[in-house]
Amino acid sequence: MSDPAVEVKLEVKQASKEVKESENVAEKYSAMTVSKNSEMNMGDLSSAFSAVPTHKPVKKQIQFVEDKQEFSRFPTKAGRRSLSRSISQSSTDSYGSAASYTDSSDDETSPRDKTQVNSKGSSDFCVKNIKQAEFGRREIEIAEQDMTALISLRKRAQSEKPLAGAKIVGCTHITAQTAVLIETLVALGAQCRWTACNIYSTQNEVAAALSETGVAVFAWKGESEDDFWWCIDRCVNNEGWQPNMILDDGGDLTHWMYKKYPNVFKKIRGIVEESVTGVHRLYQLSKAGKLCVPAMNVNDSVTKQKFDNLYCCRESILDGLKRTTDVMFGGKQVVICGYGEVGKGCCAALKALGSVVSITEIDPICALQACMDGFRVVKLNEVIRQVDVIITCTGNKNVVTRDQLDRMKNGSIVCNMGHSNTEIDVASLRTPELTWERVRSQVDHVIWPDGKRVILLAEGRLLNLSCSTVPTFVLSITATTQALALIELYNAPEGRYKQDVYLLPKKMDEYVASLHLTTFDAHLTELSDDQAKYLGLNKNGPFKPNYYRY
Amino acid sequence: MLKAAESRRTPQSWDRDREEASGTEETEAQKTDMQIQFNDQKHEFNKRPANIGRRSLSRSISQSSTDSYSSACSGSSEDESSPRDKPQATSKGLSDFCIKNIQQAEFGRREITIAEQEMPALMILTKRAGGEKPLAGAKVMGCTHITPQTAVLMETLSRLGAQCRWAACNIFSTQNAVAAALAEGGISVFAWKGESEDDFWWCIDRCVGAESWQPNMILDDGGDLTYWIQKKYPSIFKKLKGIVEESVTGIYRLYQLSKAGRLCVPAMNVNDSVTKQKFDNLYCCKESVLDGLRRTTDVMFGGKQVVVCGYGEVGKGCCAALKALGTVVNVTEADPICALQACMDGFRVIQLGEVVRQVDMVITCTGNKNVVGREHMDRMKNGCIVCNMGHCSTEIDLVSLRTAELRWERVRPQVDHVIWPDGRRIVLLAEGRLLNLSCSTVPSFVLSITATTQALALIELYSAPEGRYKQDVYLLPKKMDEYVASLHLPTFDAHLTELTDEQGKYLGISKHGPYKPNYYR
Repeated sequence: MSDPAVEVKLEVKQASKEVKESENVAEKYSAMTVSKNSEMNMGDLSSAFSAVPTHKPVKKQIQFVEDKQEFSRFPTKAGRRSLSRSISQSSTDSYGSAASYTDSSDDETSPRDKTQVNSKGSSDFCVKNIKQAEFGRREIEIAEQDMTALISLRKRAQSEKPLAGAKIVGCTHITAQTAVLIETLVALGAQCRWTACNIYSTQNEVAAALSETGVAVFAWKGESEDDFWWCIDRCVNNEGWQPNMILDDGGDLTHWMYKKYPNVFKKIRGIVEESVTGVHRLYQLSKAGKLCVPAMNVNDSVTKQKFDNLYCCRESILDGLKRTTDVMFGGKQVVICGYGEVGKGCCAALKALGSVVSITEIDPICALQACMDGFRVVKLNEVIRQVDVIITCTGNKNVVTRDQLDRMKNGSIVCNMGHSNTEIDVASLRTPELTWERVRSQVDHVIWPDGKRVILLAEGRLLNLSCSTVPTFVLSITATTQALALIELYNAPEGRYKQDVYLLPKKMDEYVASLHLTTFDAHLTELSDDQAKYLGLNKNGPFKPNYYRY
Repeated sequence: MLKAAESRRTPQSWDRDREEASGTEETEAQKTDMQIQFNDQKHEFNKRPANIGRRSLSRSISQSSTDSYSSACSGSSEDESSPRDKPQATSKGLSDFCIKNIQQAEFGRREITIAEQEMPALMILTKRAGGEKPLAGAKVMGCTHITPQTAVLMETLSRLGAQCRWAACNIFSTQNAVAAALAEGGISVFAWKGESEDDFWWCIDRCVGAESWQPNMILDDGGDLTYWIQKKYPSIFKKLKGIVEESVTGIYRLYQLSKAGRLCVPAMNVNDSVTKQKFDNLYCCKESVLDGLRRTTDVMFGGKQVVVCGYGEVGKGCCAALKALGTVVNVTEADPICALQACMDGFRVIQLGEVVRQVDMVITCTGNKNVVGREHMDRMKNGCIVCNMGHCSTEIDLVSLRTAELRWERVRPQVDHVIWPDGRRIVLLAEGRLLNLSCSTVPSFVLSITATTQALALIELYSAPEGRYKQDVYLLPKKMDEYVASLHLPTFDAHLTELTDEQGKYLGISKHGPYKPNYYR
């Protein structure tokens, strides 16, 4: 605080985060910060402004939860994107990445109008600025450090090239982490063409670095709706190159191929889909009998689920609160609403720092678990006057109501780790008698007429996506699973996978986990033949029945 | 019995008492071999298995079905004549029971009162039923361990309107005083500690009591009673309204019967209910591992190097408890997913062979066999403690320790020093049998979960409308599981939040549950 330079730097970084997250941003407040920040640093102006035109989709997002979107409908970009992201956490880019520093490029012409050539003379790509390649390469190298699973996969499979002949079109966030995935696929023999699944999330220099090495990337930060579909089309539609695999996040690429290139679509050997939304659309397509290729549901693999929920939240809850409020946790009274995987993670982290944690639950089984783990189970109303921090993770709506906010004590913190932005009744706070004051990006003071303030984080959106980062290690789990799913689908003998949506075989899940064990220098014990026979298992797995929940 | 009560206070007599207990322990030790065999050759429902072998298997898996070992009610009565030859009568003049000594009733009553304190759910269940008697007309025949905790269950069933007759499912586990208190209270109990095989089946048969009293519900633990009625009284069996089975073994036998198409009544599988599974494994082991180690060895935990073999529910419980006391915990795992969980929870994952020279304790909970082999034990350091929290007694390779060059020295009941020729000793607990059953107690609260589930299952089966349950084995509905959990929440003064109508609609679930899909764990 005492050092203004540091303060400004912090603000700038957060502002750029805000830009990425801004699809969710509801109201004028984001615009306010943007202008405030841009006064401090003109260089960031261009990126900051892209936040402005995007406040509206919130309503749409809520609607989407209710009226299930169909595959054949052409959904508006912004609304669905934010839904898919808010649920599938690891599909999002890493917000803390320093990559946004290159956004200060003054070049305002659209990449579509610019012809660029990489050092090898190829021009089959479309990115913001190919000159940023070197920067991007460094980002990718940093990411590689924490994605050892993919690197060891490269080593293990490089000699046999299990993806030789595979032509993969991909549509994911383009970040340093996905770049590691893409380069792994290339190392395994695949040819890749890539586009972004989100109009804001692309890291331009990473896209440049990929293009420089020969992967055809069509993506830049701040695409328009029209740009978005143009990129997808350029990615698919390439003379003399017919894709035979799809790696998708959100289902847009699948949708486009299915609609525009039915002939190509029919010849696809497999689709790998990562997000909740995309998987949902695939199931609908399958139900309608229109899915003519096998698809793999990566979202519901055990490892991904555990990492997206329990571990990821356990790591990020403290970080998110600290970055935004600098609060001390020891001895603070915290209420956590909901004791599912997310709630369990939050509780464990807070307890370790000495907070006094209470739980609210509706499900008696989870409530009993909370009791046995040493947390008091209360109703929010009973303790609302005393608590210092409320964290919601129920997946429900209006868990914290205006009535309760009215009774909170001065300076208490309210935030959401759960599902989209429905858990805290933020709308009820938008009344004339309450003053909103933005004190930092993502931090609002809501001031009651009597001077009491409640600190609302990220306007009730997901704290760990808005104010914290997703660890590369978590993304590594997802990326490895995707790579294995591609290999599995590509190499499966005719007939193993029909025209349906599949879950990854248990054995693959176990393989993904085992690839990550090296990070911890963990040594697995091997079953002896005798022991395997006794347990009725194969020595090499799968080790658990399918219903086992770990 | 008074002597036993005293023994709780004076350590010397406590030791003597343990010595006595170890008498039965010796007999159990010899059973180990048979037990291993049972695992391989799956026993069938039609075969009449030797009681001892299967009993111990059933016990070691279904933990909460076992009695509480520390309870002071060990039969120290000097009367050696068989209860079968002794006519006895309660103070009300009833004599339809067969137990060791009716005089012990008062003492047993006190035990039951203590257990009631920790089993509030059953009390609440009675209260909620109010004047209603959901089990009015039910004639429940039970075959379970006879302990204060099951006594609380039986008396709850009686209060809910059922008539009960009871036999023991284990020839050693009956607490005579409790049986006496039950008999005095008017429940026909046929059980005493130390029955013979013949006594065992005689008791069950007397319990069925064919002429005067026809049962219409069965509450079973291990499947013996079900087997006996199906074989001996097929006409009664056909008219049953339902069977409630608690143990792994019994469930297995029921499924076989069902597969063979010979199960002509609905049965309820209590063993696999969510709450029971979590309590039997995760929570129960978390509580008892420290207790078991402390009682037997008085070891200090802080800073000790421990290896926990296996990171399933049991392993997770053990690790959490040990970590909380400051031990350095290492984990061995075969399943990479569980191994990754261990890593994320902050435990080193290693192979046993890498660290076996440095560790102070090895705890097995894999469900596997020969996890700790002779080659490991040969390299352990002096004073290393080896024990088992997992499955039966197969995890530690005991056979390999029964060789001529090694000397066994029993230093306390349940504690053996195995001494190598060079003088190095390892401390083996409970001869590789389950530590928490042999050297610790099962908390009443855990048994309360099981008992409540059983009571609810009986009510559900008895009062279900015709046709809801066919001739098959059922799992408890999720809602019942949730109800069992909710009955235990008042113990913690926990206050559940209720969904508003709007929230229920948003989530697409009923306000009153079930709250989770069936596959949710």
